[in-house]
Amino acid sequence: MVSSGADPLLAASTLTDAIRQVGDAFGEGDLFLPDLVCASEVLKKAFPIINEAIEKNGKKQTSLAKIVIGTVFGDIHSIGKGMVATLLYAAGFKVIDLGVNVKSEDFLKAIKDENAEVLAMSALLTTTAMEQKKVIDGLKEVGIRDRIKIIVGGSPITQEFADTIGADGYGATAPEGVKVVKRLLGLGG
Amino acid sequence: MQKGFVRNIKPLEILSDEQIQAIHSNTLRILQTTGIRFESDKILNFFKKNDCNVDFNNHIVKFPPYIVEDCIKKCPSSFTMKARNPKNTLIIGGNTQYFSDMPGNWTIDLDTWETRPATKKENKEAVIILDALENFHIFCAYTPYFEVEGITPEMAIPESYAAKIRNSTKVSWEGSQKECEIFIIEMAKATEQDVMGVGLPSAPLTYYEDACNSLIRYIKADFPVNIACGVMMGGTSPASIAGSLVSFNAEVLGGVILAQLQHPGAKIAVEDSVLPMDMKTGHPVFGDITTALHITAFAQIYRKYEIPTFADSGWTNSKKIDFQDGYERAMAALLIAISGINVNNLYGGVYGELVYHPIQSILDDDIAGMIGRYIEGINIDYDSIASDLIALTGPIPGSFLATTHTRNYFRKERFFPKASDNITYPEWIKMGKKDCIALASERMKQIIESHIPEPLPDDQEKEIENILVKARKHYMNI
Repeated sequence: MVSSGADPLLAASTLTDAIRQVGDAFGEGDLFLPDLVCASEVLKKAFPIINEAIEKNGKKQTSLAKIVIGTVFGDIHSIGKGMVATLLYAAGFKVIDLGVNVKSEDFLKAIKDENAEVLAMSALLTTTAMEQKKVIDGLKEVGIRDRIKIIVGGSPITQEFADTIGADGYGATAPEGVKVVKRLLGLGG
Repeated sequence: MQKGFVRNIKPLEILSDEQIQAIHSNTLRILQTTGIRFESDKILNFFKKNDCNVDFNNHIVKFPPYIVEDCIKKCPSSFTMKARNPKNTLIIGGNTQYFSDMPGNWTIDLDTWETRPATKKENKEAVIILDALENFHIFCAYTPYFEVEGITPEMAIPESYAAKIRNSTKVSWEGSQKECEIFIIEMAKATEQDVMGVGLPSAPLTYYEDACNSLIRYIKADFPVNIACGVMMGGTSPASIAGSLVSFNAEVLGGVILAQLQHPGAKIAVEDSVLPMDMKTGHPVFGDITTALHITAFAQIYRKYEIPTFADSGWTNSKKIDFQDGYERAMAALLIAISGINVNNLYGGVYGELVYHPIQSILDDDIAGMIGRYIEGINIDYDSIASDLIALTGPIPGSFLATTHTRNYFRKERFFPKASDNITYPEWIKMGKKDCIALASERMKQIIESHIPEPLPDDQEKEIENILVKARKHYMNI
């Protein structure tokens, strides 16, 4: 549509409205994760083209906030992290997904380079859960802990654990993770 | 030797020969054309030397069908697991069924149903109870509790195995993380018994280096390996049961091939831990009947392959020991048993792998006994068919109560549960209206007070402690 001359801003708002409707239907229990993830994939494919067209017109597409996400070092589980990343993207955030087995220093570098406002970390093993603390401690050491919101998740993680390691939020499920991020940023949720 | 339960009924078969062939052929197709990702240069080189097609850039190994089928044939159809007391030695395979337990990260309070980490004492008692339960045969990895107060995550498996060795003469299969198999193998050798290791693929179609190293270390030590694959249908495998069977089969056969090329004749079992994904939360759904269908088909395929099998029944979606917990686990355990699986992981797990409780394991001992009795089937011979006796007794007022035949048979034909409520209504009122959980609590108390596990000889006890000290030091330094 955009390549054949459609207004890119209109295309962007149409898609954003559509994903919001999908999100609402998911919240109501009428749609399920595969529906939500498939809809997000459409957005992921469409937005680079739309953004390019918007920028060509001298305008800028905005996102709610920048989020760095990844599964911590020593842990290769990707499904939960991928789901949270997709849902955050669908909710209108810019998501920088570092993948799995991410070292503490790589999280730090990405947060600095991207000037991210949120860090989301996943760990699925009891042996790797403490890696989340290592990353938070690393942020404290370089003095940028307070300018970023941190959420953690994964099977062995609990609210209590999140509090102990100094995270700002915890979500037991992917949709809950999105709500927590929105709440932390004062965006409702 | 521990005879377990010998299945004397025809196994449940839900697939036609053509359907089995369809799963097998499509598995071969995936292994030949898509391949398996192995995140280890050492393993990639090994496969290259063994005539597999290796893409070093993408870490993919593609297997010609003749290698796959040859490796399936090389797996022994059964193998022995030597226990430190010969009465608990197992022969895994064929038509024998053993029962195992399910891991729980934490324990649960039976009044508030709140969870918390178990203490070392609770973990030890849970092991002692399993040692005492007569229908329980082999400890599962990561059990009874995976997280125990005062034990670091890295030491969870070595400390857990040591607790089992010290408090039971039954054999174990143990998990792997951070190369802890090195210490597990040492402990098994020091106590002159076999231990089963794991080689865990990561679905879909991937093995990481740790999993390969663990598998190879156990095989080199001449111990069996369980290739156990946890899959979430719709997430890490197709949502269709048939598709999930193909991707699961390709994953586990990747490990079977690695094992058989490393050491032809390596002792291998395969475990089906497939669950559907809850499409609202992304969490696994436990106690779902789809899982039982998947396992029945898996059992049928692996009987054709003649490779011993494990499957999980003791993980339910109920957060309590209650009606839902009871029906989900009993249905799963019975279907697994009549499907002909060799090791049925039932005991102790309550919700998913989050919770374990010894009361549950005591109740499960009754479920196992009932199921075991069922699969042992019906003995039909001259004496049991009793037509002479029927003729002799005749119609009413004839009765079978006062016959030798009844005295000979009534005990062995029935299974007598130990914790179930089996009394009459007037007795039940008189005895204080106890339910099965109260009766299981009484049995638990009685076991803890009276069951003394066979201790390790002093030299072996010393050796186990030395290995633990070495392991603690090792993990402190990394």
